[in-house]
Amino acid sequence: MSKRQVAMVMDLNKCIGCQTCTVACKTLWTRNEGQKHMLWNTVNTQPGQGTPHNWEKMGGGFRNGEPQPGHRPGVGDFGKAWDFNYKEAFHGGEPGVRLAPLGGEPGQGPNHDEDVGGGTYPDNYFFYLPRLCNHCTHPACLEACPRKAIEKREEDGIVLINEDHCRGFRFCQEACPYKKIYFNEARGISQKCIFCFPRLDQGVANACARQCPGRLRFVGYLDDPDGPIHKLVHKYGVALPLHPEYGTEPNVYYVPPLSPSKHDADGKPTGEMQIPLDYLESLFGKKVHQVLALLIDEREKNRKGEKSELMDILIAREWIKNFGPFDKHPRSIENIKVVVK
Amino acid sequence: MKCKRVSRIDLVLEGGQWSGGDSTQVEMIATPLPMQPTGYVIKSWAEKPYGTIKTLTVDAVHDGHALAVRLQWEVPPATTTDFPPAVAFALPVKATSPLVLMGMAEAPMHILRWQGGAQAGVRSVLAKGIGSSNHGPDVGQKALARQDGNRFSVVITRVLGSGAGAAPLKAGTTTKIGFAAWDGGNEERAGIKSFSVDWLDLVLAA
Repeated sequence: MSKRQVAMVMDLNKCIGCQTCTVACKTLWTRNEGQKHMLWNTVNTQPGQGTPHNWEKMGGGFRNGEPQPGHRPGVGDFGKAWDFNYKEAFHGGEPGVRLAPLGGEPGQGPNHDEDVGGGTYPDNYFFYLPRLCNHCTHPACLEACPRKAIEKREEDGIVLINEDHCRGFRFCQEACPYKKIYFNEARGISQKCIFCFPRLDQGVANACARQCPGRLRFVGYLDDPDGPIHKLVHKYGVALPLHPEYGTEPNVYYVPPLSPSKHDADGKPTGEMQIPLDYLESLFGKKVHQVLALLIDEREKNRKGEKSELMDILIAREWIKNFGPFDKHPRSIENIKVVVK
Repeated sequence: MKCKRVSRIDLVLEGGQWSGGDSTQVEMIATPLPMQPTGYVIKSWAEKPYGTIKTLTVDAVHDGHALAVRLQWEVPPATTTDFPPAVAFALPVKATSPLVLMGMAEAPMHILRWQGGAQAGVRSVLAKGIGSSNHGPDVGQKALARQDGNRFSVVITRVLGSGAGAAPLKAGTTTKIGFAAWDGGNEERAGIKSFSVDWLDLVLAA
């Protein structure tokens, strides 16, 4: 058990699916050998297959405290990013050559069903779901590893793979119900989101959070009563874990999305949200109903000009406060050298 | 198991020191499921057969300077390419502990483990219990391997002698040896493997 737990909250009402978080993470952490297919941070469209494709049907996690067998996603499941014939199309000088993926039929990319969503016009709907390792309180990956190569840091609960101990057995990939662990085939080891711990160690928030143009990410300690995480998760209870039934107690939380009204046959709003509540319940559990009701109430208070601390936090009027104690500028870090012991 | 003395050891799979060999058929069984180190491994393999390598054909020779062990086995057709084929032999550093325990703090075992695939090669490993294996001493270990369909041949060599963490080997003495093998095509890795149940005598000719 860790002494403290860092956590992240993402307000899904504000995610615009721009993938800046994905690129920030990719640029910082996964540009080395064997990491081409790795996207420690992903943003997928819901409803949708996600990344890896159909990850919610791949098993793992716990049921009644018992570990559940899971599928081990491969590179194909995560979806290979396409390479294109830029050279031939733009500089080849051959008429009729058009921009196209290399190698013929390229298969499903990691975000192949972007913006597809669900429902039918005029009540079709979708929202974006950013995901990273949940740095769970009860990590299935850690418990599955026969080499004890996965650790949960005592000081902040960040879950890390010790690359010196890992032998590439990949039980962690099977056991993680969120399928957020990748396998580096070149190095024969598993790798995953490290919650930017070298930044946090120096008071700088995660790259994905810091770079988010929508200001939808909050970072901090769960037990810090003055920080945004404690307020969103505990004080107001509007931030919920994804698939709590997986039994791992994730430490990445989501403010569920409100949505516009459905329409009747005459095109008039019915008052029923376009995103089906039972779908949201399938993602975030039964508490989602009371959370959405509270969000509507607080939004109304705000509209009337009344004070709402919750809305002030979610609107991120003071953006730097999104990051709790991790509010230093990245330029304050001279040099990040990752050392995982 | 006899370890014949030959005039010279070469890193070859056939001929040379292996001519006129005296092979030993080592019976292998699956490691006990309840002894797997994590609940996940136990649960996920409860309904799945493993330990598909039932027999290792083993030859051992030395030339007074080096030991060579040739291991040969067959596997069923592969169902996955995610995990490499692998084989290992273990020698006691000091006293022996039950082979199934993978060594103990006061009775470590020194393992030379070959695996194929992307990270092919032979590693020296020191184990002091299940799930405890770590880097072992450099004993000049080398390996050569060949796959013919479902049949594997691997030769592993090391120098004789002793050193920190190294299992001592000396001509004219008897020690113990144990074996493990992984059918990677059956997703076997870590403690999911075949093993030789108990130590065998390894008699190094004078």
